[in-house]
Amino acid sequence: MKAVGLVVLAAFLVAFPSLASDPFVLSVGVVIASYAVLATGWNFVGGFTGYISLGHAAYSGLGGYATGLLILRAGLNPWVALVVGALVVAVLAVPVGIAALRVRGASFVIVSIAVVLVLLLVFQSWGSVTGGSDGLRVPRPFDADVLRPEQHQRFFHLHAVLLGVMLLCWWVIDRSRFGMGLKAIREDEDKARSLGVPTVRYKLAAFVVSAFFTALGGGLYALWFGFLDPIFQFSILVGSNMVLMSLLGGVRSLFGPLVGAVVVGYATEFSKAQYGDTQLHLVAMGVLLAVVVLFLPDGIIPALRGLVARLRPGQASIREVTQEELVRR
Amino acid sequence: MSLVFQSLVLGVLMGGLYALLAAGLTLYFGVMRVVMIAHAAFLVLAAYLAWAFTVGTGLDPMLSLVVTVPLFFAVGVGVQRLLVARLRPATMTMMSVLLTFAVALAVEGALGLVFTGTHRRLPLSYAGARLELFGASVALVKLIAFGLAVVTLAGLHVLLKVTRFGQALRATMQHREAARLLGVDTDRVAGYGFGLGLATAAVGGTALALDATIYPSLHWAWIGPLMAIIVVGGLGSVGGAAIAALLLGVGQNLLQLPLGTTWAQTFFYAALFVTLILRPQGFFGGRLAQRF
Amino acid sequence: MDIAHGLRIGALGATVALLVSGCFGGRPAEGGAGGDGPIRVGVSLPLTGDFSEPGKGVQRGYEAWAKHVYENGGLLGRQVELIVLDDQSNADRVAADYEKLINSDGVDLVFGPFSTRLVIPAAQVARDYGFLFVEPAGAAREVFEQGFDNLFYAAPAIAQDHYDHLAEAITAMPEATRPKTAAYAAMDDPFAQGTANGLKEKLAAAGIRTVVDEVYPPNTTDFGSIAAKIADSRADVVVGGTQYQDAVNLIVALRQLNYQPKLAAFSTAPTNPEFPKAIGAQTEGILSPTGYTPEADYPSNKEFVDFYAREHGAAPTEDEANAWTTGQVVAAAVTAAGCADPSKECQRKMIDWLHANEVRTVVGPLRWDSAGRPQGAHLIQQYVGGEIRIVLPAEAKEAELVYPKPAW
Repeated sequence: MKAVGLVVLAAFLVAFPSLASDPFVLSVGVVIASYAVLATGWNFVGGFTGYISLGHAAYSGLGGYATGLLILRAGLNPWVALVVGALVVAVLAVPVGIAALRVRGASFVIVSIAVVLVLLLVFQSWGSVTGGSDGLRVPRPFDADVLRPEQHQRFFHLHAVLLGVMLLCWWVIDRSRFGMGLKAIREDEDKARSLGVPTVRYKLAAFVVSAFFTALGGGLYALWFGFLDPIFQFSILVGSNMVLMSLLGGVRSLFGPLVGAVVVGYATEFSKAQYGDTQLHLVAMGVLLAVVVLFLPDGIIPALRGLVARLRPGQASIREVTQEELVRR
Repeated sequence: MSLVFQSLVLGVLMGGLYALLAAGLTLYFGVMRVVMIAHAAFLVLAAYLAWAFTVGTGLDPMLSLVVTVPLFFAVGVGVQRLLVARLRPATMTMMSVLLTFAVALAVEGALGLVFTGTHRRLPLSYAGARLELFGASVALVKLIAFGLAVVTLAGLHVLLKVTRFGQALRATMQHREAARLLGVDTDRVAGYGFGLGLATAAVGGTALALDATIYPSLHWAWIGPLMAIIVVGGLGSVGGAAIAALLLGVGQNLLQLPLGTTWAQTFFYAALFVTLILRPQGFFGGRLAQRF
Repeated sequence: MDIAHGLRIGALGATVALLVSGCFGGRPAEGGAGGDGPIRVGVSLPLTGDFSEPGKGVQRGYEAWAKHVYENGGLLGRQVELIVLDDQSNADRVAADYEKLINSDGVDLVFGPFSTRLVIPAAQVARDYGFLFVEPAGAAREVFEQGFDNLFYAAPAIAQDHYDHLAEAITAMPEATRPKTAAYAAMDDPFAQGTANGLKEKLAAAGIRTVVDEVYPPNTTDFGSIAAKIADSRADVVVGGTQYQDAVNLIVALRQLNYQPKLAAFSTAPTNPEFPKAIGAQTEGILSPTGYTPEADYPSNKEFVDFYAREHGAAPTEDEANAWTTGQVVAAAVTAAGCADPSKECQRKMIDWLHANEVRTVVGPLRWDSAGRPQGAHLIQQYVGGEIRIVLPAEAKEAELVYPKPAW
């Protein structure tokens, strides 16, 4: 039955471009797919280790710039540039991860914010390499005769494939020894260490994997959007969006970030179309984030699952309770 | 030479202002282990209230403090009681970041709704007035802001060191469980600690408004530097943050001479990274940070 | 639980499919090619967020233009309907907005947004769909170096040329009184920096030494150090590549250091009606380039000023004028091409016509090179006797250039 669900989801992803009523809807689909990729990328560190990074825009932005600069300055093929760029970002993430993960909690969040801000300053002022505040135009990966709607369609599928690969990775890690160790860190880091989990190495590995996938997502978006401006790339708001989406869907669930991205992405478009030009969208985002943090810290998926479980008749009197759930009480 | 001296003077004045702006952050962290992202948004809110007060009544913005300080104290207690205290202790630090981030977004959005995105500046008759000090020019408004910082921080110091409430607050900051065993009502004290922190934001925002334009998204520009200050100073240490603020302010101003404005701003983050690599608990006190 | 989980994913997919393909309130195109319905004009503007102030000015200008066309019988006998979306001062949003306007809302024409940072992504979308793209505010050099052949800037000059008249006036001064040194401070923004760099290149070529050249990030609020550097250099001329709040802060910081230049020029800010309120009486002698003056005697300008004053009770500023100019340019292209529909042929006809012809507008006659650069220069204004007046070029001046400027 689970397989059926997955097949339906895959079929939808394949068919979506032909269901979309016009190229605009298709472009919204690409944006939401990109949100899902970024949020899922974030969740490799946020979900597994419980370390909440508000600065993942650093890695999506770096991924975009690395891809663009490798194409423009090194003349690489766009797809090669995308992968090489993400690898470069993963390497860069190692020292950042070492500095950030030395400290727990508060300092980690502060570092994650600081990384974005410092990158904004660097990319803004190092104009000779990055294009500076003029921005950087990323060339199209497809020929000029591939029209814009066709581009949207191809990029939607590329995002879907990337998302599929990431979800598979998540699923594999979730079931591995590595994943167990990471989850132990999330629940109680000191205990995990005393049980022999190499916490520093595990955290760093998760952090680098997360940066790598986030950079791929950022690079793919840059190839689609075609223009990079440091103030929009290295923005705390972009990073906080990834957190909101993951948290809303549920950081412990495989599909949590995807669900969150769809909900937030759709709500954003909808409220903009309905309510237009006020600053209310900021208030709404703030309130939504606060509600999730206060009342749904585990996200919609576990909340719904809990609801369904309670409503279903004939529950066994003795329920299986996982370690995870016990700790959460 | 005179330029270096001038920059030094400006740096000290700015560092004093930074110390005032960061003071609240150390209080929140001290009492609740909370990184209060919304602090900068409240600074901007206070600045807007001072602006609206002066434009509306024609009186000096300093008088607005009579209203904003108690108001912010009450809001701070409310934020702690109604929002932060509801979080699970196990995930308090991480979730409080997100919660206060949410508050910051809501404050920014509300400011945009009420005051629009127009850049505002306090209309002050003495905006350009200045004093000569050993050959350096000192703007009157910067001196007033510095004075506000000194008075507020001194008051805070006395409050923490001398009064009974201060002792209870410090006890709560150092070891919450032990304080509770000694009969301190730590929940109430934590609430007041939050209120006190936000009250400093009312003063800080007014000081900020004296010599800068304000707009709703301004708080983003302050989050990074303020965070760097409290980490360098040692999370939870009021005195440490003040020293760090002064040093970073002076350093930034002097570095602007050879490096220019943009690269000088990175000084804050360089100091932050160096601190975390060499001495994660901060350079000036703050035993707390080791564990957080 | 796993079974239900799988089903839920499927259900979720189906729901999303319905939601995404069904909604977003796109109205189908009514007018269509050659129809009699109104001509639908789409535009995305920063009505909220960091660029909202000038964004609203541009909106007022567009709306005034649409109303004016409406009261005067429309275009090609059809009425004009404006569809304005808010891009929240965000580049991702601006592209999505034009995507929506062109595809979902079925507009016949598009007008450009505000700010250089938003013009390039927007122009890309317009070009991909073959739309003519006339824009009121994207003056930086880079905008015209992206290979957009559908783009036209509806103002007299690009950012680098804004100070041309001032540069000429300074170089023409007698050796004895001519300034010797200049200090530049510019915001790290393509437009603001472009204006200062344009003047810097020309003055440096004329032998006026650059003693300070500072660039600061857009979020800078403290100008103490920059002002200290400028004051210490004792430069004869201070030039600010500024937007608004930075100019105000910089001027106050310079005054706090008692720096008295012979000449002070700032981009954009001094033309803002808020500026004298923020600076007080110390505006005297401050210079600023402008692409527009309500006093200009171009034939359509009087009509514009009267109409706008009747609608809003105040004279239009540069933002409103640039928007109105955009309307005039597109209207001229529509009239000449004899069509206003989204088809590639019609849009191409309009683009080709604009490349080859001159349009008379409220900011004067405009013509463009192949990249869409207008071929004029900005007027130079100065605060004289508490009023902002045109002082350069000589043939347009309303007052004499005051040099050296009085103390501030």
